[in-house]
Amino acid sequence: MTNPTDNERELMAEDAELVLLLKDYPMQEASANFYDKALLSAASTSARRQRNRWLMTGFGGAIAAGIVAWLIGGVMLTAPDAVSPEIPGVAIALEDTHQVDFVFASAKPLDNATLTIELPDGVELQGFPGQREVSWETSLDAGKNHLPLTLIATRAVDDEVVVARLEHNNRSKTFRLRVDAS
Amino acid sequence: MHTRDEQLAVERLLRPHFDRLYRLAYRLTGNRHDAEDLFQDVLVRAFDKLDVIASLDDPGSWLGRVMYNRFVDGTRQRARRRLVVVADGEMSGDGVEGLPGPVSAELDASRVESLRSLHTALGKLSDEHRIVVLLHDTEGYKIKEIEELTGIPAGTVKSRLHRARARLRELLEKDGTEPAP
Repeated sequence: MTNPTDNERELMAEDAELVLLLKDYPMQEASANFYDKALLSAASTSARRQRNRWLMTGFGGAIAAGIVAWLIGGVMLTAPDAVSPEIPGVAIALEDTHQVDFVFASAKPLDNATLTIELPDGVELQGFPGQREVSWETSLDAGKNHLPLTLIATRAVDDEVVVARLEHNNRSKTFRLRVDAS
Repeated sequence: MHTRDEQLAVERLLRPHFDRLYRLAYRLTGNRHDAEDLFQDVLVRAFDKLDVIASLDDPGSWLGRVMYNRFVDGTRQRARRRLVVVADGEMSGDGVEGLPGPVSAELDASRVESLRSLHTALGKLSDEHRIVVLLHDTEGYKIKEIEELTGIPAGTVKSRLHRARARLRELLEKDGTEPAP
């Protein structure tokens, strides 16, 4: 076995420092009671799938009832109930179009919701040239509502944020998307 | 699940793997929202295969493989469109701005700054490189475990790890960050 060269030693030392940094790289814990909710939901879904083969017993019924109660008591706009400080990002080629798909999940249909898109300087919504803010009224179905938006970068931008805000009856949810364009 | 005893048996079978499974989901997806969706998806599949899982020596590996495959399938379908829902006024929660989650209070400011730069640099890696480096260096998976999880040959995993670290060093250097120990 040959001894490492100075250059190899230096790289190994840099790797060791990088690995130490990576070991400290944080993450968000799951939402409160997420495991319990996930178990309950999985049990319910599985039971539903097997309904044709298995009879629902009292326990299965209790699970289903629990889910219904949870939905009724839940917030109107279903979303994680805690904070996620991470902002996802997309990279866009300059003057090119890039479609992003915003998903709004709602426990029940919503009428007269207001959707507002805020755009940083240098990023435009296709069909709305030069506008920094675009707002309109919309209705949502129960479940997941997809809103594809086509973004265009008119100049190079670094770490700018596109904001999509859905408001209904004094409640709002905000989506943030980091945009890099070069 | 039909009886309370059966439900408890399922919990005993699956719950010991939840923390590791959630961490895997988070490292694959990069945010809690998608991680929880992925975790839930795998759990539903696990409930449909309880007989199989109960017969396994290492259910955790099986669950991990299912999760990875579901992630890859989902990624192919969604391309790279990822969004996170945050409640208004709650951006300054537990985490540190520019980082995905809370950091130890013992870390000094320069270390936190290095982690911010690392976070940005990781975001510039390809999925295949980012996942390998996070699983190996952050989560402590062995090369062999990553091979079993992903089905990617060990040699390729090593190569991706090497390239991912090199790219991270390059990005951190460009950013002026020295990953001080």
